[in-house]
Amino acid sequence: MKLRNINRISTAVLCCLFFAGSAAFAQKITFTPQWTAQAQFAGYYVAQEMGFYKEAGIEVDIVHPTITQTAYNLIRSGQSQLTTIQLCQAMELINDGVPLVNVLQTSMNNALVIVSKEDKNPLEQKGIRVGTWSSGFDQIAICMALKERLDYQWFRVASCINLFVAGAFDATLAMSYNEYYLLKQSGVKLTDKNVYRFCDHDYNVQEDGVYTTRSYYETHKDEVHRFAEASKRGWEWAAEHPEETLDIVMKYVKKDNIATNRTLQKLMLEEILRLQVDRESGQREFRLKPEMVKLANRLMLDNQILLNEVTYEQLTAH
Amino acid sequence: MQFFRVSLTRSLTLFVALMATAVFLVALAFMFAQSRHAVRQEAMSNANQLLDNSLQRINAILERTEAATNNTLWLVKRHLDTPDSMFVYSRGIVESNPFLNGCSIAFEPYYFEDKGLYFSAYSGMSEDKIETRQEGNDEYVYFYMDWYALSKLLDHAAWTEPYINIDTYEDNVKKEEVYTIVSYCVPIKDPEGNFVGAIATDLSLDWLSNTISAVKPYPNSYSVMISRNGTFFVHPDPSKLLYESIFTETLEKDDPERMEIGLAMVNGEEGVHKAKVDGEHCYIFYKPIGNTGFSAAIVCPEKDIFSNLNRLRNSVIAIFLAGMLLMLFILDRIIRRQLKPLKSLAAQTETIAAGEFDKSLPNVGRVDEIGRLYQSFSNMQQSLVNYIEEMKITTAANASMENELKVASNIQMSMVPRIFPAFPEREDIDLYACMTPAKDVGGDLYDFFIENECLYFCIGDVSGKGVPASLFMAVTRNIFRIIAQQSYSPEIIASKINHTLSADNDQEMFVTMFIGQIDLASGKMDFCNCGHNPPVVHIPGRSAAFLPVKNVNAPLGIMDSLCFKGETIADIRGWQILFYTDGLNEAENPDFELFGNDRLLATMDRLENCSSAETIKKLQEAVEKHRAGAAPSDDLTLLCLKLK
Repeated sequence: MKLRNINRISTAVLCCLFFAGSAAFAQKITFTPQWTAQAQFAGYYVAQEMGFYKEAGIEVDIVHPTITQTAYNLIRSGQSQLTTIQLCQAMELINDGVPLVNVLQTSMNNALVIVSKEDKNPLEQKGIRVGTWSSGFDQIAICMALKERLDYQWFRVASCINLFVAGAFDATLAMSYNEYYLLKQSGVKLTDKNVYRFCDHDYNVQEDGVYTTRSYYETHKDEVHRFAEASKRGWEWAAEHPEETLDIVMKYVKKDNIATNRTLQKLMLEEILRLQVDRESGQREFRLKPEMVKLANRLMLDNQILLNEVTYEQLTAH
Repeated sequence: MQFFRVSLTRSLTLFVALMATAVFLVALAFMFAQSRHAVRQEAMSNANQLLDNSLQRINAILERTEAATNNTLWLVKRHLDTPDSMFVYSRGIVESNPFLNGCSIAFEPYYFEDKGLYFSAYSGMSEDKIETRQEGNDEYVYFYMDWYALSKLLDHAAWTEPYINIDTYEDNVKKEEVYTIVSYCVPIKDPEGNFVGAIATDLSLDWLSNTISAVKPYPNSYSVMISRNGTFFVHPDPSKLLYESIFTETLEKDDPERMEIGLAMVNGEEGVHKAKVDGEHCYIFYKPIGNTGFSAAIVCPEKDIFSNLNRLRNSVIAIFLAGMLLMLFILDRIIRRQLKPLKSLAAQTETIAAGEFDKSLPNVGRVDEIGRLYQSFSNMQQSLVNYIEEMKITTAANASMENELKVASNIQMSMVPRIFPAFPEREDIDLYACMTPAKDVGGDLYDFFIENECLYFCIGDVSGKGVPASLFMAVTRNIFRIIAQQSYSPEIIASKINHTLSADNDQEMFVTMFIGQIDLASGKMDFCNCGHNPPVVHIPGRSAAFLPVKNVNAPLGIMDSLCFKGETIADIRGWQILFYTDGLNEAENPDFELFGNDRLLATMDRLENCSSAETIKKLQEAVEKHRAGAAPSDDLTLLCLKLK
């Protein structure tokens, strides 16, 4: 029931993005990261602060979602044209009828982990209460739980950390660049036993990418490509200048009064940059891999999260 | 170190100073260890007391919040059929409890069918007014929030983590109010016991921060409060509030100390830890806050706690150092004064050592050890003076005796013929002799003279050495000269000498002697060997050899009435004959090896064509070489004769 609600909300968000995108002809591009300001979006901040977007001949406005101005609101009001989405989430939306186009793939590895209480292996506990995000990002975990017949009880909340620490959950989903360190910062002992990393167990599906609606893409191909190239440049610069990048990230963090600290952002940046390196090539490839799309399709079709296959061609700009 | 070694005053002063310092340091260390323990106990008690007082006030507010919420719960449960009454209850709780910031009474999605997905009756303070509204919507999905999920999942009342609340309201001008709150949430259950919603009352943490921040037992101490997951929600550094946790610093660098304190605090323990905070050693006193799962701590820098004690320690050390300097000065003066007589005594000793033995010592007028030392030294000086006087007399006596011995030696030497060539008018006689006593005077003798174309000669060795032997030698030589001049044969000469020496020979001394008589015209030699070494004969064309002696008689002087037999060699012309005493063949080197008969014969072989003087000189050199610096053990007398 709850999962369906989330899907509905997400579909509505992206529908609005689609329509707003179709109507927009302005040269200015509004980019909305999927979360509040943090090092997860460092490459975009760098591209903005270092003038890479301007050099590319585009004017980019980075607008973060807030409680009152969520990404949904920004897109609905036509103020945002580009956003970041995880691959599985994008495929689900396309399957629900929202034509999205991946214009830049940044993640090459999966960051999802399950953390259970100390000395407990999450895969050895059936029927436990597992916290997940109200905003999704958990398709792969659901697939794994179904496949392994773990019979998890999923609970969607805005933030899992406090509830897990308070003992309300037996386990929680976490991103290796964010909640993982938040849990450590909460005094939770993390070991190989109580942390399950999906990327190490045949679930290494790519995550973050920049998406727009196909209609916006068709009418603004040039701007979108220039945004993608400048963003890529921003990420490469970030990888070469982590300390300066961190300064830029902290500027955005402080501006939005985000409850975080430099240490957490530093660790997040390191992990995000690590996740951008392809395991096989050892390179920062910035491309969606067809085999990843196939893997995601197989997992989600098998577990009926997707009703129809979403092809690589459907996802990519061509 | 030499600086102290050369002065007793300095070394004594140093020793006393070191001992005093050691005793003082031990006493000081003990005292301060005890004091530190006492101060620490006092600080712990003080900090705990202050923390307790503050926590009591905080707990009172928290308990009032819990009571207000619980008191409303029964009303809510009683009127679950009238959703709009929830607005009245949420408003009522805020109205009745001005310390609360707001109250939400929220329900599960679609619990009230006519209210739809969201129904949460919220009342909150907004610019001194209470605003009541339904707060759930697509932008604020309350059932995803901690306060709602916590009570639902835990199935009991609980406090949320502190969080930043942003109230946005419009009153001509759009305003935003940001503050930190914590919510107490209680599950609402229907009569069947099913979870249907939650009540959450919000409490601003600003007052709590002010209350706990006021706890300041020491000037630089401060208070912190952390939530269940370690997040700081009270901290003197605003940049850490809700942004950092007590574990943040452990993310990049292992810090077991901080980890231990953090875990103890989040686990609701009470205690005290010593740890390094921002590079400074601090004592951290911590206690849990009611049922919240939160923990409060007072961080007291160690230097603050022990500042008075440290000041006292520094003052004591300063006083000690000043006292030590004064003590060293006074000690130096006292020891100097006490040891002054010793210094004077040392100077006097120097004078006495320089030879002024009669220099009198001053009276120090003391009866202690130094006085006794002075007295002893004075006695020693007197004894020294007496001893030296005796030494002078003895030395003089020795010198006199030495002189006399020298005279005696000269006399003894003058008793034997020492002028060579002995018979310058006769070319047929090549005779050379020498006598070297082992001491000033010796017991060897030799003599020769011509009487009636006969050469009479003798060589002898008196038993013993030194003056007695020399006197016996002198007597023997004189008797030989007197008797031999009467032209007796050698055996008669020997017999008469023996008779004379044996008479009144109380000392039982004796003399070995070789007595010879050579007819210079025919070369015939008569001789009588009285216990003496056989002479070495070097006949031309042959090797040197000992003269075979058939009749070896007893030494002279042993007893009267002995019979002496003589022997004759028909012609000794052309022979080289060496007569000697045992100082030659028994000369010892430092390893006590004898010169020996073999070496003697070998040496003589090499001297075949040498004159008598040369032969004796070479033999002396050979003996000297053999002794290799060793003192002569016996008198050495050599007589070499060659007739042409």
